[in-house]
Amino acid sequence: MPFRGLLSLLLVFGVLIGTAIGMLAQADPTTITDDQVMDVARSLYCPVCPNEPLDTCQTEACYRWREDIRQQLAAGRTHDQIIADFVARYGERASAVPLDPTLNALSLVTPFVIAAIALALGAVVVLRWRRRQPLSVAVSSSPMPADASAYRARLEEDVRS
Amino acid sequence: MSDLDFLQEFRPDPAASGRRRLSAGTIVLLAGILSVVVVIGIAFVRSQQGRPESGMAPDFTLTTFDGQQIRLSDLRGQVVVLNFWASWCAPCREEAPALQSIWENYRDRGVLVLGVAYADDPDDSRAFNAEFGLTYPSGPDIGTVISKDQYHITGVPETFIIDRNGEIVTFIFSTITEPQIRAILDPLLVGEAST
Repeated sequence: MPFRGLLSLLLVFGVLIGTAIGMLAQADPTTITDDQVMDVARSLYCPVCPNEPLDTCQTEACYRWREDIRQQLAAGRTHDQIIADFVARYGERASAVPLDPTLNALSLVTPFVIAAIALALGAVVVLRWRRRQPLSVAVSSSPMPADASAYRARLEEDVRS
Repeated sequence: MSDLDFLQEFRPDPAASGRRRLSAGTIVLLAGILSVVVVIGIAFVRSQQGRPESGMAPDFTLTTFDGQQIRLSDLRGQVVVLNFWASWCAPCREEAPALQSIWENYRDRGVLVLGVAYADDPDDSRAFNAEFGLTYPSGPDIGTVISKDQYHITGVPETFIIDRNGEIVTFIFSTITEPQIRAILDPLLVGEAST
């Protein structure tokens, strides 16, 4: 009997602790700071204005979406979960970055690749330009080869006639 | 020094004879130019995919807030007033009573008002419908597929009027008014009835 009583007490205690943890996990939306909301909003775009990030947009639609983010943060959702939820509801165009890992990696790497190619191209052009400069002087001052005399004589004769 | 000295510059160079090969730098440069042209081309093609203002209305299936499934192509034989809206949109509030009035007055004449909620929280959409007493079918555009991928709307409200054959008759970019919709529907219904 005392064992069953103890078991019941433990059960009640467990339920109470579980409820408390649940309540703590679902925080009050008012405790979520604007910075937390904006951190997520930066990864989303306004549904109406073209190319306007959600964190800077001042329309009613954006205000509501930011409140939605606040509610979801309060419910304990992570940044990625919230973005995924918005994309599921409003399409991939709501997200500021591609969700596909390959496209995401490409979008990060491509600018650096283009910059590297441009630098390499610039270096090649400069090197060639520097190499050609003395060469052109040498060419202009070089005497005509011996076998050109016959060619020149013939040309001069043609011009005179 | 002869006057013809300049000719040495034009002498054929045996080393340069034959077809010149492109250097690696030139190939990279050409590839870069080609990439830019392709990107501009894709952007141009996308910009041409504007909203359909005539011809067959793109087909879609909408699940309304009541759970009813409506397929546009199943509505052939009815005139459809397809309205894109959102609860956060102020002009949508202005036109909501007009749409409800059109629905009440024309539903028996074969006109269906169909609302597609764009980028809106479903709870907010339902509250909007309740606030204005809207009874015509309306539903959320999940993933904005209908509004953006098919009808290419640029904002809300936007309204398409589709005839009994499923063809877009009129596109209205801004807030609609009841007389404006009546002026479009009346001749359309008369014309349709006589055929």
